[in-house]
Amino acid sequence: MNGPHSGLRKTVSSSRPGDAILRLEDIALHFDEGRTKAVNGIDVEVREGEFVALVGPSGCGKSSLLNIIGTLDSATGGRIYFRGQPYSTISDASLFRRQHFGFIFQSFHLIPTLSALENVIVPTIGCAGSAKALKERAQGLLSALGLQDRMGHEPGKLSGGERQRVAIARSLINDPDIILADEPTGSLDSINAAEVLDLLDGIRKENGLTVVMVTHAPEVSARADRVVHMRDGKLDTNPAEHT
Amino acid sequence: MRLIDFALGNLARRPARTALTVAAIALGIAAVVALTSIAWGFEASWQKANDARGTDLIVTRMASENSLPSAFAALEPGKTLLGYPHVHQVVGLLSEMLSVNSKAPPMFVFGWEYNSYLWDHLKLLEGHWPASDTEPVVLVGSVAAALLHKRTGDTLELEGHTLRVAGVFESAALVENGALLLTLTQAQLITDKPGKVNVLNIKLDGKASDSEIEELRTRVATSMPGFVAITSGELVSSNAIVRVSKAMSDATILIASLVGALVVFNTMLMSISERTREIGVLLALGWQRRTIMQLVCGESTILALAGGMIGILLGIAMTVGLEHLDLMRGKIEAVFSVQFLLAVLGLSLFLGIAGGLYPAIKAAALLPSRALRHE
Repeated sequence: MNGPHSGLRKTVSSSRPGDAILRLEDIALHFDEGRTKAVNGIDVEVREGEFVALVGPSGCGKSSLLNIIGTLDSATGGRIYFRGQPYSTISDASLFRRQHFGFIFQSFHLIPTLSALENVIVPTIGCAGSAKALKERAQGLLSALGLQDRMGHEPGKLSGGERQRVAIARSLINDPDIILADEPTGSLDSINAAEVLDLLDGIRKENGLTVVMVTHAPEVSARADRVVHMRDGKLDTNPAEHT
Repeated sequence: MRLIDFALGNLARRPARTALTVAAIALGIAAVVALTSIAWGFEASWQKANDARGTDLIVTRMASENSLPSAFAALEPGKTLLGYPHVHQVVGLLSEMLSVNSKAPPMFVFGWEYNSYLWDHLKLLEGHWPASDTEPVVLVGSVAAALLHKRTGDTLELEGHTLRVAGVFESAALVENGALLLTLTQAQLITDKPGKVNVLNIKLDGKASDSEIEELRTRVATSMPGFVAITSGELVSSNAIVRVSKAMSDATILIASLVGALVVFNTMLMSISERTREIGVLLALGWQRRTIMQLVCGESTILALAGGMIGILLGIAMTVGLEHLDLMRGKIEAVFSVQFLLAVLGLSLFLGIAGGLYPAIKAAALLPSRALRHE
């Protein structure tokens, strides 16, 4: 599915499968002068091609950690490395995000007035590259996700599962290294949820992508290579005690 | 999909707001186009009238801020001027704004010295010229004739005097076509200003050099206290009506610019406030902050340019409509130039960028994680 994509040249080159793609050291996100600790001293390593599930109760800091990994938020403490490069040396977070990450959200966040195809193309607006090639790539992604007959439909005319598949295609358009998914099945029924997970897992394996997924659904985390438990902003080393 | 397609789509998502914003800008721009073109047209029409008369210099009292120069006794200054080198003719002219009857709007009434060169540029459409200085007749400009429904042989009342229409004339200048023309003696009689004129028109002998003309002007200023010798262009630009109409047009440009920028500003601020989460998504998807700024400024510029283009058409239509109103017919003649219309489009562009800049900066400064949580 990684077709030619001339618009983006990666600033950090890929490494071998099994190497660390992400390394988080003592990551903290504190508010109110340290009184609120959304994330507090997280140390995690994610390897190339790995599927990691971040699980924990609501408010434990999973999404905040995901946002920090995806450069949507800045940690107030600690260090993160992407293939060995410290985040602190990234000069253009937007460009870095575009080159290396694909985002999938629980509530899809598709633009209601755009067709499925246009929604997939949206992340490429402002990029260099052939419009025709980008369109063909978006069409290829939607077809691969079984939406070849729904490309011209606006999100309002698609089912929840179809919308999330459009969002998956959108997350892949810039040929990312890591998919960051925040409760991607949270708004879907069990059948659609299973379908979306199958698709996501298939794409991951086929393309050697790394997936970091926030979820609190056991059936979702069960599909992950590794589950990272969180509680009160910290890693939960004994999750069994809290179940 | 290009950024402009995305911007157009965003504007189309809220058609009522987009239409109202465009309408507000269009009205402001229409007012600018109408008032400015009328102000320029007014000046151009007076200039054309003065040029057509073939006057080289005009002597008048310039202390007055009235719409027309104040009247003065013509005899002594006229004699003095005739004694200056290169002065070939000195011709008195009296102008007034008078109502023909209670229903008709006031119109210009000119009194020109009988048999002077001032009459030479007029074309008689029907009737005859005054047979003498004292004949109680009036000539009617072609536009005034249509407005007053007067033809040769009819009579009209001016300041309690009944005058017979001797003929209908046409001039190159609208201001004269919309006017009534009398001999100077008749004009002085009906306005109760015997021996007085507003201006003395000087025709030179054609041999005067520029420096000699300048010397003549200096001589008038020094030897005729209270008088100035000016060109017709200077007279027009110092005309209080021209100055007021230009000031009004400048004020309209200023007000329309402020209102237009505020309307765009408000619309874009509301728009980005409603789309905060969407902007967060775009940032999460890797849009760069400058692309967000380009999007917001692009939308505001499209709004302003659409308003500007509609406003230009509306302004031209309004002006043409005004020209045909009985109240205005023969008094205004709008002037539209390509440069002016391009400048108005430039103003629209400026409004779009100025009104959209702060919302664009605000949108680009959003923290993606916070914007994504926005309800």
